[in-house]
Amino acid sequence: MTRLLQTILLGLLIGGVYALFASGLTLIFGVMRIINVAQGAFLVLAALFTFELFRRFGIDPLLAVFITTPVMFAIGWLVYRTMIARIRTAPVSMSVLLTFGLAIMLEGIMGMTWKNVFRSVTPSYYNESFHLGPFFLPKGLVFGSALAVVVLVCLYLLLTRTWAGRAIRGATENLEGAQLVGVDIRAVAAFTFAVGIATTGAGGSILSVIYAFFPASHYLWISRTLGIVVLGGMGSVPGAVVGALILGVAEALTARYIGPQWSVVVFYVVILVVLLVRPQGIMGSRLREDVVA
Amino acid sequence: MRVNALRRALIGAIAVALALYPLLRPDDRYRHTVLIMIFLLGIMAVGWNVIAGYTGYVSLGQSAFLGLGAYTVGILTRYVAVSPMVLAPLGGVVAAAVAVLLGLTMLRAREHAFVIITIAFLFLMQAIGLNLRGFTGGSNGITLPLPGWDADLGNVPFYFVFLGLLVLSVLMAWWIRRSKLGMGLVSIREDEDKAAAIGVRTSVYKILAFVASAVLVGVAGGVYAYFLTFIDPRGMFDILVSVQIVLACLLGGRGTLWGPVLGAFVIIPLNEYTVGIATGEGVRLFVFGLALILVVLFLPRGIIPTVRGLLERRRRGVVPFERRPVHVRPAAVEQVAVPEPARPLLELDGLTRSFGGLRAVEDCSFTIGAGTRTALIGPNGSGKTTVFNLVTGMMRPDAGAILLDGERIDRMLPWDRAYLGLGRTFQLTRLFPQLSVVENVVAPLREFRWRDLAADAVRGHEAERARELLEFVGMADFARVPAGRLSFGQQKLVELAQVLMLEPRLVLLDEPAGGVNPGLIERIADLIRTLNRQGITFLIVEHNMPMVLDLCDPILVMARGRVIAEGSPSAIQSDPAVLDAYLGQEWGKATEQVQA
Repeated sequence: MTRLLQTILLGLLIGGVYALFASGLTLIFGVMRIINVAQGAFLVLAALFTFELFRRFGIDPLLAVFITTPVMFAIGWLVYRTMIARIRTAPVSMSVLLTFGLAIMLEGIMGMTWKNVFRSVTPSYYNESFHLGPFFLPKGLVFGSALAVVVLVCLYLLLTRTWAGRAIRGATENLEGAQLVGVDIRAVAAFTFAVGIATTGAGGSILSVIYAFFPASHYLWISRTLGIVVLGGMGSVPGAVVGALILGVAEALTARYIGPQWSVVVFYVVILVVLLVRPQGIMGSRLREDVVA
Repeated sequence: MRVNALRRALIGAIAVALALYPLLRPDDRYRHTVLIMIFLLGIMAVGWNVIAGYTGYVSLGQSAFLGLGAYTVGILTRYVAVSPMVLAPLGGVVAAAVAVLLGLTMLRAREHAFVIITIAFLFLMQAIGLNLRGFTGGSNGITLPLPGWDADLGNVPFYFVFLGLLVLSVLMAWWIRRSKLGMGLVSIREDEDKAAAIGVRTSVYKILAFVASAVLVGVAGGVYAYFLTFIDPRGMFDILVSVQIVLACLLGGRGTLWGPVLGAFVIIPLNEYTVGIATGEGVRLFVFGLALILVVLFLPRGIIPTVRGLLERRRRGVVPFERRPVHVRPAAVEQVAVPEPARPLLELDGLTRSFGGLRAVEDCSFTIGAGTRTALIGPNGSGKTTVFNLVTGMMRPDAGAILLDGERIDRMLPWDRAYLGLGRTFQLTRLFPQLSVVENVVAPLREFRWRDLAADAVRGHEAERARELLEFVGMADFARVPAGRLSFGQQKLVELAQVLMLEPRLVLLDEPAGGVNPGLIERIADLIRTLNRQGITFLIVEHNMPMVLDLCDPILVMARGRVIAEGSPSAIQSDPAVLDAYLGQEWGKATEQVQA
C-alpha cells in the first residue's frame, strides 16, 4: 500500500512537470493549429543551456529559468518570424513537416555541439530526498515540480489577466472573431509561438535536474507531450494539466508494476486510443467547423 | 506532345541503363549498393505518394512498414528453412494487414491527428521491437543467414530484386492514378466532405490507399533484412528513414508519378555525401532537417510540378479562361422521371443540432413535396445551411429524423444518401480545383462496386454523359480546363452538372444565384425549371428574393433554427411572422404606429 501511494505521489510530482512541458505545445496548437513537433528539441536544447550555465558559471539549474526562459522566448520569436510566418496559410501537413525538419536540424546542431552522450545537471540536492513519514521524495523532483507549478500559474495569469493573454484566448476560440474585434492576429501568433517556446526554457531547466538527457531524447519528449496534449484535448491548457497528471501517474504505475521499459509505451497507446475513440480528448471542444466555406 | 515523347524516351533510356549497369560493371560494388539504396527509397517514396500525394494524408510512420516486413522475414527465418527472398512477400502481407488496422484510424482522424497517430505508431513498433526480447531479440536484433548465392555475384541479385520492386511500385501508382480508385483518392485530397457528398465511399478508398502504400514497402523490407543480414529495432523503425521518404517525395513532386523516384535519386547521393564529409550523426541530421525546412518553405510543390509549370507557361502563355463567354445551348437532358403528385419526398421531423451552447437548428420540421421547387429562406444564422448539412450527412443531428421518400436517412453515411438520389451544391462552390471540369463532372458515383474501383477513371459512356451535361449547362467548351481556374459563376454551373451526374431525385442548392452576374442568374433559373419539369425536386436556399419569388413555390421561412412560416410567394410576402423575423419586432411596431 505504501509502495502504491509512493508511486502515485511520484507520478503526480512528475505530472506537474509534464504539465509545463505540454503547455507550450497545446498553446501553440490552440491558436495556430500547428503541431510543433520541434517542442521536444527545444526542451532538450534548454536543458543543454542549463547544463552549460551550471558547468561554466555554477548557476543553479532551477535559478537558470530566469535566463533560459527569455532566451527561448527570443528563439521562438525568431523561428516564428523566419519560418512559421511563411506557411500560415499552407495546409496543416506542411506545418508539421516544417517543424519536424526543425526538430531534426536542432538535433543535428545539438549532436555536433554537445555530442550524443547522456548528461544531467547535478546540484548539491541532486541525490537527496525528503522523508515524509514512509515516503521518499527526491528533492530535485519536489523543487522542479513546485517550480513548474509556479511557472504554470504565471502562464495562467498571463492568459487571464493581461490584454495579450485575452487576445490569445480569443484567437484560440475564434480566429476570425478575434480578427474582427481588432486583434492583430499575426502579432498574437508570433507572441503565442514565442511564449510556447519560452515554456520549454523553464521546462528544460527543470528537466535537467530530474532526467538524464541527450540530443536524440527529444523524440521521447515530443511523444510524451503529444500523448498528454491528445489526452487532455488539443489546444486546451487546462486539459494539458489534467492529461499530464493522469499520464504522470499512469507512467509511474506502469514502470513500477510492469517494467520501466514499457512506461513510454503508455503514451503511444494513449495517443492511438484517444484519437480513435474520442478525438477531442478530455477537455477539448468540438468546434463548429464551417462546412459552408 | 514533343515533350511527352522526349520524357518517355529519357525514362526508357534510364531504365535500360539501370538494368544493364551491373552486367556491364559487375565489380563496381559501391555503386551497386548506392543504387540499391536509391531503389529502396524510391519504393518507399512511391508508396508514401499514394497515401500522402494522391490522398492527402501525410504519414510520418511510413518507415514502420519497412521494419514490419524486415521483422516478419527475420523472425520467420528462425523457424523456416527457406530463403528469406521467398519469405519477403509475407512481409508485404503483414505490412498490408497492419495498414488496414492503422487505416481504421483514418476514418475519424484527419490532418494533424493522422500525422500524430503515424508518429506514435512508428515509436510504438520500435518500443515493442526493443521490449519483446524473446520474440524480436530486443536491441541485440536478429541475424539472418548470408545470401545463398556465389559470393562473386555480390549484391547483384539484390540489385535486380529492388529494381523490380521499384518498377512494380511505379506501375501500381500509375495504375491507381488512372483508375476510379485514384480519382476518388484525389477528390478526397481536394475536399473530403465534398467527395463523400457525391458518392465516394471515402472509408474504403482511404484504407485501400494506405494498404497500397504499405504492401510493396513491406516486401522490400523483407528483402532489405536479407540484404543487411542484421536488423535491430532502432535501425528498422527509424524516423529518419521516414524523413528521407517524405523529403524524396516532396522534392521530386508530391502527387506526380515520377517525383518520388526523382527525389530518391537526389536524396541518397546527398546522404552518401554527408556520411563522407563527417563522422557522427550530427551533420547528417542537420543537413536533412535543413533540407526539409527549405523544401517546405521554398519548393513546396516539388521539382517536377515546378518545372512543368514553367514549361507550360513558356509554351502558351497564361490562358485567360475566365474571359471566354459561356455558350448556352438548349437542354439536352434525358427524361429522368415523370413528375408525380405531391407526395412527400423529404421529411424532417424535430431535427435538432447544437454547436456548444448555440442551437443552430432546433426542433425543425417540414416536408418537401415531390416535384416541387421549394425555397428555404431566412435571415443569416437562422440554420438553413446547417439543415443542408444535416440532410446530406455532413453533420449528425442531435435529435430528430430525416426521411427521404419514406426511408430514414439520418443515420446513413453521406455516400449512401447520394446513392439514394440526394445531391447538393454549395454556397461557395466546392469543385476539386486541380481536376479538370470533365473529371469533376465524372467524379460522382451512383453506387459503390468493388470492381468499379479498378475501372478507368473516365469511361467512355461517362465522358459522353458528362459532355451532355456540360453542354446542357453551357460549359462544354471548358471540359479540359482545371476547375480551379474557372470564374465563380462558371463553377456554379459545373457544380450543377456534377450533381446531375448522380441522377438525383432531390437536389439541394445553396445560394445558386449568390455572387453570380444577373445574366447568369436568369440562365440558372431556367436550368432549374427545365430540370424540375423532368422530375427533379429542388430545395433552394437563396437570398435573391426576386429570383425566389419568381422561381419557387412553396417557400419555407426559417428563423432561430426552425421553420416559422410556409406558403406561396404571395402569402409569405405578407406574413407578419416573416416580416418580424427579417426586420425585428421594433420595425413591426414602428410600422403599426405609422399606420395608426
